[in-house]
Amino acid sequence: MYSLAAIDYIIIVIYLLMMVGVGIWFSKRHSNFDDYFLAGRSLTTPILITTLISTYYGIDVLFGDSQLAFTDGVVAWFGYARPTYAFFLIAAFLLANRLKKEDFRSLPDILDKYYGKKTRYIGALASFIYSLPALSLYGFGMLGDVIMGWPPFVGMLILGGIALVYTLTGGFWAVALTDSIQFVMMCVVLAIAVPFAFNIIGGFDTMIDVLPAAYFESMGDLSIWLVIIYASTGLTILVEPTFYQRIFAAKSYKNVRNALIIGIFIWGSYDWVVTILAMAAKVGAIQGIIPADVAPDASLLTIMVVALPAGVLGLFMAGVLSTEMSTLDSYCLVAGGNVAYDFYKPALKPDAGDDELIQKTRWGVGLSWILGFVMAISFDQMLGLWVFMASILISSVLVPILGGLFFPKFHKPLAGLLSTGLGLASTIILNMYIMTQGTFVVEEETYVLHIGQWNIFQEYLMYITVPISFMGYMLGIIFGKEKRS
Amino acid sequence: MSGWEIFTWISVIILGLGSIIVFILFLKDVPELLKKSEKESL
Repeated sequence: MYSLAAIDYIIIVIYLLMMVGVGIWFSKRHSNFDDYFLAGRSLTTPILITTLISTYYGIDVLFGDSQLAFTDGVVAWFGYARPTYAFFLIAAFLLANRLKKEDFRSLPDILDKYYGKKTRYIGALASFIYSLPALSLYGFGMLGDVIMGWPPFVGMLILGGIALVYTLTGGFWAVALTDSIQFVMMCVVLAIAVPFAFNIIGGFDTMIDVLPAAYFESMGDLSIWLVIIYASTGLTILVEPTFYQRIFAAKSYKNVRNALIIGIFIWGSYDWVVTILAMAAKVGAIQGIIPADVAPDASLLTIMVVALPAGVLGLFMAGVLSTEMSTLDSYCLVAGGNVAYDFYKPALKPDAGDDELIQKTRWGVGLSWILGFVMAISFDQMLGLWVFMASILISSVLVPILGGLFFPKFHKPLAGLLSTGLGLASTIILNMYIMTQGTFVVEEETYVLHIGQWNIFQEYLMYITVPISFMGYMLGIIFGKEKRS
Repeated sequence: MSGWEIFTWISVIILGLGSIIVFILFLKDVPELLKKSEKESL
């Protein structure tokens, strides 16, 4: 636990109360499901920027980027972060326009329209699993420990519970508005931190002098294969359910496009500043300002605690909490929508009214939170779990969603069903196999399966499961019949 | 000043100033958004 001043704790408490206040303010302001789940489809460019950035960037990015930058330098930005911006551009110019043309409410809605109900349910299951907030709650456990000295499960319950309260009560309005406050907090505190960090290590020139030259090589020691793997993680953007929800909630396509283009500059700056701060932490570790054996993923927080004065540190910690809360609330809401709108209504009660759907969405939000909590306290290797959850989504819905959106002739139910079903099944089987039969290699932070002289990393499985999904899609196109309108 | 350092300060400005400008624009939109949400809830 780091020691904070009283003013820091006051700032953190005020911030947390403010978040709950927004949720309560919006608790009775929903007229229908569209209003609760998509904020009445009225989001303008500024609010789209704030909610897209704050949702997509959680502390996994904050600590993940900083960990790589601490150990390898600027390659964290060039090799890991930069490729994702290309996917944001693809989303801005190719995907968003298509999605805005239809009256979709959720990602499984798209599968239903092109391939039918069965594909919808599989897609909804994949989206629900992907949206479970296990990693966010795990992050809250870590932050509660670091900031307050709480045992991890207490941090998960209190900090994660606050995000749950305002999501349950306020719906997407509360999520979008809290996201906006959280956005400015997480960006401004990071920008403010830079001069303080440079001040304590002796300036940027000291960083260049102290760190090995390899820290400033844009691609570092990364092999082309690893670069391709890092780059392909950006594929999630093309089927990211919270991203889709924001496109559906936008006032118009123009708003989404502009938000994404402006957002790329802010995302890029955010990643770069995180990279530089982590490199400053490395200098601090070499100079003895912070412990030399500091864990790479804790290096950013550690240097900030030393560098920032009281008050500013409280703001920084509130900004870090913001980063995670804005992620947890959005994913819980999407998972809740999957339960109510994608399962309950079409499968059990097609005539369910708006009030009933809102109520069931709240149940779904609660269910996803509880499942996420159970996973967060049960799994030791959260990174392995996250890779599993992310590959479930990509492997089951990437092919049929893009095929459905861009190739109208391929709208055959069998294609959707085989693609989502085989993608989902192969991902579950292969990941379970590698997580039970493989070994977790701490240095690589992943599960590895040794077959002869080959080492199969868990991340590589996606290169088997996505082609399986694609083969299922092609088989469905060849042997399937057209969807009846 | 090295190219890296110039790039860093540009990023700091985009991040700090850019986010504040976006937030101010968001605040300008808030009354209209709230009015819309209020109208729909009536």
